[in-house]
Amino acid sequence: MFKTALLGAATAAIAATGALAADYPQRPIQVVVPYSAGGSTDLSMRVVADAFERAFDAQMVVRNQPGGGGGIGSSAAINARPDGYTLGAGAQGPLVIKPLIGGTDYQLDDVEFIGLYARSLQVMVACADAPFADYDAFIEYAKSDAPQVGNSGAGGANQISAEAFADAAGISIESVPFNGSSEARTACIGGHIDAMVASPAEAKAASEAGQMTPLFVMEDERIDLFPDTPTAVEKGVDFTWSSWKGLIGPKGMDEATVAWLRDAVEKVATDEEFVKTLTDMGEFVTYENGEEFEARARKDMETTKSVLKKLDMLGMNN
Amino acid sequence: MDSIAFLTPLLDLQVLLTIAAGTLGGLVIGALPGLTATMGVALLIPLTFGMTPVMGLNMLIGIYIGGIYGGCVSSILLRTPGTPASAATVLDGYPMAQRGEAGKALGMATIASTIGGLIAAIVLATLAPQLAGIALEFGAPEYFALALFGLTIIASLSGDLLKGAISGLLGILISTVGADPISGVMRYTFGIQGFASGFAFTPALIGLFALSEVFTQMERIAADEEPIKTVSGRWPSRADMKESRGALIRGSLIGTLIGIIPGTGSGTASWISYNETRRASKTPEKFGTGYAPGIAATESANNAVCASALIPLLALGIPGDVVTAVLMGGLLIQGLAPGPMLFQTNPDVVVGMFGGTFIATIFMFIFGMALIPLFSRILMIPRRLLAMSIVVFCFIGAFSINLNPVDLYTMVGFGVLGWGMNKFGFSQAALCIALILGPLLESNLRRGLLQNDDNVLAFISTPITLLFLALTVLSAGWPFLSRAIQRRRAAQNI
Repeated sequence: MFKTALLGAATAAIAATGALAADYPQRPIQVVVPYSAGGSTDLSMRVVADAFERAFDAQMVVRNQPGGGGGIGSSAAINARPDGYTLGAGAQGPLVIKPLIGGTDYQLDDVEFIGLYARSLQVMVACADAPFADYDAFIEYAKSDAPQVGNSGAGGANQISAEAFADAAGISIESVPFNGSSEARTACIGGHIDAMVASPAEAKAASEAGQMTPLFVMEDERIDLFPDTPTAVEKGVDFTWSSWKGLIGPKGMDEATVAWLRDAVEKVATDEEFVKTLTDMGEFVTYENGEEFEARARKDMETTKSVLKKLDMLGMNN
Repeated sequence: MDSIAFLTPLLDLQVLLTIAAGTLGGLVIGALPGLTATMGVALLIPLTFGMTPVMGLNMLIGIYIGGIYGGCVSSILLRTPGTPASAATVLDGYPMAQRGEAGKALGMATIASTIGGLIAAIVLATLAPQLAGIALEFGAPEYFALALFGLTIIASLSGDLLKGAISGLLGILISTVGADPISGVMRYTFGIQGFASGFAFTPALIGLFALSEVFTQMERIAADEEPIKTVSGRWPSRADMKESRGALIRGSLIGTLIGIIPGTGSGTASWISYNETRRASKTPEKFGTGYAPGIAATESANNAVCASALIPLLALGIPGDVVTAVLMGGLLIQGLAPGPMLFQTNPDVVVGMFGGTFIATIFMFIFGMALIPLFSRILMIPRRLLAMSIVVFCFIGAFSINLNPVDLYTMVGFGVLGWGMNKFGFSQAALCIALILGPLLESNLRRGLLQNDDNVLAFISTPITLLFLALTVLSAGWPFLSRAIQRRRAAQNI
């Protein structure tokens, strides 16, 4: 008797989820952005929500839950009820780096990767009054003195990328952490540090104004914005790095829901108006499906692991 | 004159209405505890996608200016700083409102905000490129010296020096909770992820000032106390204005200068201005008891910061505070990269933003003055009901900022702390100043040591650090100095 009831309940539950998936989404989908409103992750997710609502008869609400370098909001998304109505903005720092440093209640394995819609390319720039102005001079200088490279926070993505490059190029640098990238930028333009990792958009405006000089691009190939700036790869250093923006969710969502969401991200990421707005904001719009996105995150994690080990930060906050 | 031609788009009715709507919206956002100008600007950026740059950006500037001003309303009436910028306004605004002069206090705040805003806007429009250079002079040693100078306010603000020092040190200790600014190691979080960024600032302030006040009132509310009967008119008396003249000018200039220095912001400016005004006053003992110049000093400073924070943003592409960092996002979306080139490539936008700053400030004055009678009537609500609503607002405000439940514990904890401090004569203001300046002090001390191979001499090597360190010594020694001078005068008179 009890068994039949249980079986009945189970069947009902399965039927219910099936029906749910077919009608998904019935309610507004909430996306947790793990940073304060107004940053690039937040703004780009708002553009996604805008394009999503244009493309589908559904609502997407952005919710900001900042704190702990993105760890708090990411935890909220990853530990949310897996019904497809609470998702998260997937960012490199909180997903890949934070769990390795420790102190988070999630790991990369707990993340359901839905899709990546933009990559944030990175350019190493020389700051005002720096004793070097191109790649070769930078490496030459670094052989005798460790250049002071500013970053947006201890254990943040651009500390890792700068240190990873130094590792690959066999030079040593001194990382100087700031409270956010705009503070690092201010120090860079003021000549209080030697170099920093910047986004192509900010590097472009600043280099035209003579405030910064691009040294190299962290891509495989040169980029349109900086046709004269070399990549590390062409200088013989096997190093690429970019940060990214995507949509993630908790593990355990219904398969049909995940499939629906993956298609939705693809549709949004290839929408003309979306591409234009995000490109104007200085993002490199590209689409990667869930598997490619996950593979990218895992590759970044391997690089990060060795950098953190060298810096003695692996598992530091556990 | 090209620049005149660039101003004409501002006279378009639609643009004017957008700026007006932005300013009014900002005012309401600022007045509600827990909703900050930063949030208002950030949330409305998507609305500007479809607007022309001048229209969209000026709406955001309107929200910013209205939002910083609006913070004074809840500070004065409810002792709840709506934004960290107006925490210092609590000191004189709240006692004034309790005395039945809420309208006057709000009127003073409105006039001060307008004057501060206009003076800074004039500086912005005329001297932006020349002054922006100051922003670049500030490296770690300079910030450290500035923060140290700011901390000396504690010495003169707290009546009892020993208790003031204890409050200040407690504040600095509290500000060390969370990730270490240089190494990223978690400190004093006891494994609670919610504290990874330390105690959230606005919830802490709401608890410290507002909830603690409710606790204090609860102790005496037992006897059914009458609500405040009068709220006075909106215009400060001529005598008030005369006494406040120095405060207004000093506040505006301090706000303008601090606004240019990136990463300091309106909270720092209003405290420094309050202290300097008090120091210059002939009647320093009146400050903190509901004295109009106290409001004039803080509100002129924090609104001056709004306009002057645009100086490094537009001239160098460096945001002066959190709100302007968000505004920079708004500029980028419009395809405009802020920086020295903007003056050449898009002078229409730059001039349009200058003009918009003026217009938004004037709208702020009109709306502020018009709404004062409505706002101040809040105080006529029976005290028990009012206290209850404040508690509700404390919770909503503390939670809405980060949607982090841990912030509620922070708010309640600081409420109890503030109540206890009040009871035993410890200065809440000293704790607040230490919370604002502690992180600035620590991270720049550490960064400066890191960058100079632990050489302390780097902290006394530039003119700016020397200036601030000298001011620090002077400011810390001032209470003793002024007492000595008084004693000598008294001796001479005999």
